[in-house]
Amino acid sequence: MVARVVVAGGGIAGVSTVSALRAGGFAGDLTLVDAGEFPYDRPPLSKDYLAGRTELKSIALQTPQWFDDQRVRLITEASIATLRTDLGAVELGDGTIMAADRVVLATGGRASRPPISGANRPRIHVLRTAEDAERLRAALVPGARVLIVGGGLIGAEVASTGSALGCEVVLSDPVWPPLGRAFGSEVAAWLHGMHETHGVTTVHAPVEAFEDAEDGIRVTLAGEKAPRILDAALLAVGMAPETALAESAGLRVDGGIVVDAGLVTSNPAVLAVGDAARRCDDGALARRSEHWEAAQLDGQRAAATILGVAPPADTAPWFWTDRYGVHVEVVGELGHAKQFADRGVLGEPPFSVFAMDSGRVVGAVSVDDPTAVRAARRMIDRALTIDPAQLSDAATDLRKLVRGRPTEGTI
Amino acid sequence: MSNGIRVAALDEIPEGEGISIDRTVTGTDDDIALLRDDDGSVWALNNTCTHAEASLAEGWVEDGYVECPLHSSKFCLKTGTVQGLPATRDAVAHRIEVREGDVYLFPHERP
Repeated sequence: MVARVVVAGGGIAGVSTVSALRAGGFAGDLTLVDAGEFPYDRPPLSKDYLAGRTELKSIALQTPQWFDDQRVRLITEASIATLRTDLGAVELGDGTIMAADRVVLATGGRASRPPISGANRPRIHVLRTAEDAERLRAALVPGARVLIVGGGLIGAEVASTGSALGCEVVLSDPVWPPLGRAFGSEVAAWLHGMHETHGVTTVHAPVEAFEDAEDGIRVTLAGEKAPRILDAALLAVGMAPETALAESAGLRVDGGIVVDAGLVTSNPAVLAVGDAARRCDDGALARRSEHWEAAQLDGQRAAATILGVAPPADTAPWFWTDRYGVHVEVVGELGHAKQFADRGVLGEPPFSVFAMDSGRVVGAVSVDDPTAVRAARRMIDRALTIDPAQLSDAATDLRKLVRGRPTEGTI
Repeated sequence: MSNGIRVAALDEIPEGEGISIDRTVTGTDDDIALLRDDDGSVWALNNTCTHAEASLAEGWVEDGYVECPLHSSKFCLKTGTVQGLPATRDAVAHRIEVREGDVYLFPHERP
């Protein structure tokens, strides 16, 4: 009988875990330990929060009242130092020992710092926490010359935010177009092209070195003769899962804390969720998702495991991103499909693209057309056979293609 | 106001969808989303998602819930209760009556 659960980390995965435990009827002792002032949502850190349009309190994942109402003991500005699996307990950084029948590691990750010479200078930023966002915001003043290394979701969102704040932004990524696998190459190319139309310079070269300059930093990009002088740079080249706690406890770690389908680690009393966790099903290690909703679902699955109830149904992976005033969503997989059905005109929002395989939708990307992705998600989850011509026909009501149709298979 | 405010003809709201009624018509703080479930029933919520600037009338209506078109938080059509993050606050629900094919709104009365 599980009476005491301690969750390490108050990102979306950790908060989702405690929320789902209580929603599922867990009546025991529940503690959430978080390093920050309070648990907050990370997607705004590259958008509204970075721009200074919202305060930290407005992006709290839950209110203080909610934690009280749900009887979740919230320990903030703290962290777990050691998993005392020998005692069935955890030890906090200040030496406090807390008994725990189950520990859920929602430790997230750190922004990666690539091995570029000089990358540890103070003018060179990363973006993972609210403090990172505040430091970066202070550098994003009108006229500031800013280099963003990496044209992925974070890099592109910060390029959009920075250019709207009046910065002179250069975005470098050796891959063209970035995110081709996530969006499908055509939509990825169009989205990447939005940078230039909004005054951002895009270059397709890796950074060779950062050096101090008189009034900034000097950066050398591969293939460029003259170095560029900048006021600030952001390294947006991905994240590394935070696994130190798991490693020191002797848990299996392999590019993430290895978990089974129920999110249980190699120690049956310890679970791991969100960015820190890596699924291993039937001996095959999966790619970590790193998306918001995947972390939320992990929390719900971990709670189901602890409660001994059926996990939430599998659903196609979904994420969103916002840049230059457009809202982009992706569901399922677009990277490997051979057949596509366009809805609307690619490059003229609202539009969307459906990826098809053997008469079924396997993925979709929408730009300012979120209904298309909500329809596609149901088509994928229910394995519906769909006529691509109907998807492309602007007269088709996509809701009618799925409404009342039960599942035709498994995903 | 005991008879409510006529805000739409039922036929104007397709099943599984919503329409937005301007606050100048309803006299409410926010525009009102009239949302029609698969079973034909109609419900009214404040139109602006409690999480971000999004119109619930443009959301996906199914099985008693509306899913926000921006970040997919779900709200109960009948009570406005939020079902999942990122939204943390319930939407405000208003009572509706359908009489002879017309939809009447009773602002701030519980459904």
